[in-house]
Amino acid sequence: MENKMSSVAELKERHMAATETVNALGDKLKQKRLLLLDTDVAGYARSQGKTPVTFGPTDLVCCRTLQGHTGKVYSLDWTPEKNRIVSASQDGRLIVWNALTSQKTHAIKLPCAWVMTCAFSPSGQSVACGGLDSVCSIFNLNSQTDRDGNLPVTRMLSGHKGYVSSCQYVPDEDSHLVTSSGDQTCVLWDITTGLRTSVFGGEFQSGHTADVLSISINGSNSKMFVSGSCDSTARLWDMRVASRAVRTFHGHEGDVNSVKFFPDGNRFGTGSADGTCRLFDIRTGHQLQVYYQPHGDNDVPPVTSIAFSISGRLLFAGYTNGDCYVWDTLLATMVLNLGFVHDSHDNRISCLGLSADGSALCTGSWDTNLKIWAFGGHRRVI
Amino acid sequence: MGDSVGTGTVPPLPPPLPKSPPQYPDLYGKRRELAKVQILEREISFLEEELRSVEGLLPASRSCKEIADFVTGKSDPLIPITKKVRRSYRFWKWLCGISCFNLSLICCCPKCPHLHMPHCCKCNLCNLDSCISCPMPKFHCSSSCLNTRCCKMSDCSCRLRCCIPKCPTCSVCFCCIPKCPTCSVCFCFARRCTCCYPKSPKVNICSCCDKSCCYSCYLCC
Repeated sequence: MENKMSSVAELKERHMAATETVNALGDKLKQKRLLLLDTDVAGYARSQGKTPVTFGPTDLVCCRTLQGHTGKVYSLDWTPEKNRIVSASQDGRLIVWNALTSQKTHAIKLPCAWVMTCAFSPSGQSVACGGLDSVCSIFNLNSQTDRDGNLPVTRMLSGHKGYVSSCQYVPDEDSHLVTSSGDQTCVLWDITTGLRTSVFGGEFQSGHTADVLSISINGSNSKMFVSGSCDSTARLWDMRVASRAVRTFHGHEGDVNSVKFFPDGNRFGTGSADGTCRLFDIRTGHQLQVYYQPHGDNDVPPVTSIAFSISGRLLFAGYTNGDCYVWDTLLATMVLNLGFVHDSHDNRISCLGLSADGSALCTGSWDTNLKIWAFGGHRRVI
Repeated sequence: MGDSVGTGTVPPLPPPLPKSPPQYPDLYGKRRELAKVQILEREISFLEEELRSVEGLLPASRSCKEIADFVTGKSDPLIPITKKVRRSYRFWKWLCGISCFNLSLICCCPKCPHLHMPHCCKCNLCNLDSCISCPMPKFHCSSSCLNTRCCKMSDCSCRLRCCIPKCPTCSVCFCCIPKCPTCSVCFCFARRCTCCYPKSPKVNICSCCDKSCCYSCYLCC
């Protein structure tokens, strides 16, 4: 008995020693990386004589307000091809909108009202959503409604042991979807069978050590995705290798609330509760830029959601205080605040996303509305 | 059974032995501990591997150059200046999709120098003669937008909520919305509703809040 107990004690000692080694190696790695950070994006751009993007008061304007939700909007997603948007709200509904006409094409009452995320399938035929019920539900928009006029759930993806915080379809595949969860894992699902194809992270795996809040699949290589977590890290995953993350990205000092791939597929952005957005390189692991606007007081508003414009020059970031900054990614300057222009939202920006052709930005807010923003100015030919 | 008793040939059963303690009294705890150690040891090998790979990495400036080349080499419909020809009409596609929406801000400001409505959009809702009927756009209330030439401050009525700069309990907020009946402090954009803590995990319904108080408090952090 004593021998067994000492064995457990021995394990604890090994655990302590291993923790110390991990920390020491982490510090060493950090030091080595610092030596390689010879500049950041803004420093490089300035050295090349780049000038910031400038916006006039009517260059980026709200051209649609989508009204219909009766609760806070938590999530939105555009169809890849057509001009449709799906939104998820505290009112327990998903609404599918025609972004051109503002008309609602579907209002889906959810079996569980506590929805947190939604996504359009690549074909635009289905939508997925997830939330506190720990299930990702799939709805085929072409299904017949039931007697009460509700769209039935086509498939329920069950297996997470915590809330489903984010979901995204694998590009060009209506049958595969990735979810992130409060159970510290991400899961690749086969929607056809309803089964988990791969689990990324978890109790006995190398992965996130706290709730995973956001995911983004690489548009250039759909086998790679990145996740952001309450453990203050972002991790890059290869869908073919679930046992470990390809790379872990440190730097944030708060929850990583939002992650989004940069349009070139070699970088990704993050938005955090520490009030900063950052740009990381997936091949080197370097943190290339921090986007942070100093505030007068100490109350730094957390970033809720981010999106890049189609060229990557602009980074849109929603904040809990209602601000929606437009960052010039090259110069790291805030060039416009959509929270202070005409017809802006009346509350926190909770989600945002770009249309597939990059010509419009949609923002969702706790004020129950979605807004579509587009360029309304005059282009100079240079 | 009767036969065995009768013959008396079957040896008596051994007296029951005291039960041995289970071989692994803390089986789950030990395995768990072992798993934790194994994870850390694996992490160590990953970090060692990463340390080795860092040696051959290119400096950050290389990536920065790639980014600069990428963003400047691609046109962007949301950016004012582009190397391509004028493509401002894409915006009007949004405005003029199937039905022309109320262009009160844009159409009612004939002095705006930046907007040139294409012929494809016939907006019947526009009142080109009057600016007074337009609601005052919010940006007129912020100092950065006072230079706009569309309307003058005196011409339009500013939205009430935009012109209330402070709330009594917050030094920075610009709009106060009473949030929870049970909260002593107001909920404003700039500050969190203190009754809605704790923050993480983000889905916990906090102790002071129920559905009648903060219906959606589960995400209020």
